[in-house]
Amino acid sequence: MIPPGTDLTYTWSQALADLGQVSPIATLVGFLLFTIIIDMVLPHRRRDGAVAIAAAVGFAYSLGVAVYRWLFFTGGYAYHRFATGDSFALFFEMLLASLGILTVALSHSYLKRRRLLEGEFHILIMAAVIGMMVLASATSLVTVFLGLELLSISLYIASGYVRGDMRSQEAAAKYLLVGGFASAFVLYGMALIYGGAGTTVIPDIATRLGASQSGNPLILLGILLMGVGFAFKISAAPFHMWTPDVYQGAPLPVTAFMSVGTKAAAFAMIVRVFSSGLPHLAPEWQTLLAFVAATSMVVGNLMAMTQSSLKRLMAYSGVAQAGYMLIGVIAGGQNGISALLYYLFVYMFMNFGAFAVITLLSGPAGDADSFADLQGLSRRSPALAVAMSIFMLSLAGFPPSVGFFGKLFLFTAGVGAGYTWLVVLALLMSVVSVFYYIRVLIPIWTPAPSFERVAPSLSGTSAIVISGVASLLLGLYPTTLLLASQLGSNPIAGH
Amino acid sequence: MTLSIIWLLPLVGGLFVGFLPPHFAKWFGVVVALCALGLTGFVAFNFLPGVHGFQFSEKAEWIPQLAIFYRLGIDGISLWLVVLNAFLTVIAVLATPITKRTGGFVGLLLAMSAGMAGVFMATDLVLFYVFWEAMLIPAYFLLWLHGEGPRPGAAALKFMLYTLAGSLLMLVGIIGEYVLTGKQTFDLANLATMAPSPAMQFGLFFVFALAFAIKTPLFPFHSWLPDAYLAAPTPMLVIFAGVMGKAGAYGFLRIAVPLFPQPMDWWDWRWVIPVLAVAAIIWGALMALAQTDMKLLVSYSSISHMGFIVLGIFSYNVQGQQGAVLQMVNHGLIIAALFLITGWIADRAGTRDRMAMAGLGLRMPIMAGVFAVVAFAALGLPGLNSFVGEFMTLLGAWQRAPLLAVFGAIGLLLTPVYMLRLFQGTMQGTPVGATVRSDIYAGQLTLLAPLVALMFALGLYPNVLTNLMTSLGQQGLYK
Repeated sequence: MIPPGTDLTYTWSQALADLGQVSPIATLVGFLLFTIIIDMVLPHRRRDGAVAIAAAVGFAYSLGVAVYRWLFFTGGYAYHRFATGDSFALFFEMLLASLGILTVALSHSYLKRRRLLEGEFHILIMAAVIGMMVLASATSLVTVFLGLELLSISLYIASGYVRGDMRSQEAAAKYLLVGGFASAFVLYGMALIYGGAGTTVIPDIATRLGASQSGNPLILLGILLMGVGFAFKISAAPFHMWTPDVYQGAPLPVTAFMSVGTKAAAFAMIVRVFSSGLPHLAPEWQTLLAFVAATSMVVGNLMAMTQSSLKRLMAYSGVAQAGYMLIGVIAGGQNGISALLYYLFVYMFMNFGAFAVITLLSGPAGDADSFADLQGLSRRSPALAVAMSIFMLSLAGFPPSVGFFGKLFLFTAGVGAGYTWLVVLALLMSVVSVFYYIRVLIPIWTPAPSFERVAPSLSGTSAIVISGVASLLLGLYPTTLLLASQLGSNPIAGH
Repeated sequence: MTLSIIWLLPLVGGLFVGFLPPHFAKWFGVVVALCALGLTGFVAFNFLPGVHGFQFSEKAEWIPQLAIFYRLGIDGISLWLVVLNAFLTVIAVLATPITKRTGGFVGLLLAMSAGMAGVFMATDLVLFYVFWEAMLIPAYFLLWLHGEGPRPGAAALKFMLYTLAGSLLMLVGIIGEYVLTGKQTFDLANLATMAPSPAMQFGLFFVFALAFAIKTPLFPFHSWLPDAYLAAPTPMLVIFAGVMGKAGAYGFLRIAVPLFPQPMDWWDWRWVIPVLAVAAIIWGALMALAQTDMKLLVSYSSISHMGFIVLGIFSYNVQGQQGAVLQMVNHGLIIAALFLITGWIADRAGTRDRMAMAGLGLRMPIMAGVFAVVAFAALGLPGLNSFVGEFMTLLGAWQRAPLLAVFGAIGLLLTPVYMLRLFQGTMQGTPVGATVRSDIYAGQLTLLAPLVALMFALGLYPNVLTNLMTSLGQQGLYK
């Protein structure tokens, strides 16, 4: 809450400055409204394409604004320190806007093939991205919760988007119930932290809750409850149960989008609240997160081995990957946070790319989901086969793909911070992961008795090409992105 | 730039070859491999003996935030392995039969060869690791997509997971070495001058040695090898057995020995590894004795011979280590020739079972003659190449501890038994069982000729190699 005695006069120049700090979000909100209007006024025939274009332009514009602010402005607080436009927020805004563009490109042809309405779909994705961006730029527990709910509610609806499909309905219902549960946990935890600190503004919490509070049961319970809620959102074990069901039921572009977007935004939230808001209580939440990370790596990797559904396999792979990423948060400092940011950015390309390939293989009847759907892909579409191989090898962490460098940075930070046991566990589990990532490649490169060629759409293919090229190039030349990650981690690491 | 081209050329050529029709693919592949061989020849002729440090070095910034550089260099140890790799790649591509899938096969062969060239030339720990892992990908696809036998996929996966278990732990070691030496550099030459405390070295040595021991393979970690070699097609085996196994031994010599001079805490690793090497020598030879499948027999003999190399490396003296490098080259030549010859014999006889054939020498006298030379080379006959190498490694081991040499020499006694039994059993005696229609083809003989010529040359003038070996890039190696 706003502390008493604060000067509450609000001038126009202040309003403009505040708006400037959150301009990537504001831009996207403007385009969201514009898209809604288009969807209402245009005639049916023209509607779908126009909405897709408007959404794509909106994301591109937002990306442009974020890059512009990154290059030429210094970030600072806005709205009485309830939000910020610092480099950490901008890094995530760039990531999420890029993800939005990729999602629009991928879903356009998918929706047409499955005869689904486009308008609401893109609008929901835009709303979810706005929620994620709010989460990344939030510096108050109130704003954090606001962003969390905006993104969650949009995704509840999006995962039930195929109204005729019981699976999709089930996914939405499950996601809503479990997600609501998680939100309640987070809110309860926030209330306890507020009770201890007397403020919701994260930088103030950091100064008020010193190391002397480490024995305070109120604060510890708050950390525990928030940690549980956060673990739900990044789908880390043992709070991952919803992930496979929701990933499997939701339409593929939604799965692709949320597997990356929700994870990135939720990690931004964890870093903001824990690393930046509770630095003096680090030993407490580090222990909690180390436990969650270890469980995620073990459970995710072992469960992924036994899956016969591609979506569920990718869901468990996401659980395992969340475990690796947590090492960055636990290690902390510039090394840890920048490694996390780097990994999240490249995770977008490899994970989204993998889902995108599966999406392009889906017919009008339903989503491709079994290993049989990949059979003989090397003949049906050599380009898709090569792309999928790159994504899988990258997720498995083979050099010289980005996945390897992401892991190298994360693990270097982990060992540097003294969490060698966690890194050793992560690497042993990576060996296990190779088993199931390679299992995906086997049907792809095995000749099928009879096959039909895949005719991928232009927009979908471009999304895959971008992801594939990025997965290789960012590995061969990781310097620039790593530099950006370091700049992005500065507001947290205190440089 | 020369060194970069040596690994880039086969890689880019391999990508291109993959899309060519079979005939063009093979001959274009040969041209690419010959160009790479020519470049390595150029490097070898311009290599200066007696110079301290890496030659032909290249250095470029890669990830400056973590002090990771793109560093290549060559010294007296790696030079020979790079040349061997390029040479055997030419042989392997030439030995490839032309079928519908030749394009992909030759492409993957060249890519694997590029990865191995990178491993031998990298002088930055991270770059070394990148090449080390990257060469696994083409090897896996070669084994799986072009493998023989009922289940090549299973053998490929076993090979992959086995090797990865070791190499991912090595990644912990790489990160650990970087953190413990003060986060300054990944440069191998520099790292060799600043060792962490013996207790830390103990742990780091373990994770590195495990990766190398699996790759070599050393005694208790060898169980992937028979499966993988059995599944591998013969042209692939030429570089798979001939060069990739050497990468493990090279890792011992280039990283484990100079970076961790005193790896002792609970016990001293410097004694554990040579004991395992001796165990590998004897175990491999005993297993080879028990095999009737010629391919398996040669595979186990390979385990035995790699034991000599590791024994030489861990003798910690000049003779031993020079002998080890010499033996890496020798063994690469011999194992390639052995796999080619047994493969061709099996093609003609229709079986790989050595008990099912006898007296084939009457029908193919020339093949029998070449086989005899290669078998003599393998069992270490003086005048042929293997003798010098094995003698030097044993001499080195004797200087360190006579017992090691005594037990290692048991391998020398067992090798002639299984090698001569293989040769005599199949080639001599009265013909029974399988019959063959044709002798060795002229093309196949031409393919073997350079290998056999080198066996004589290196047997008579090993100085050609050992002279240049005095130029070393790192501390901790012995001149």
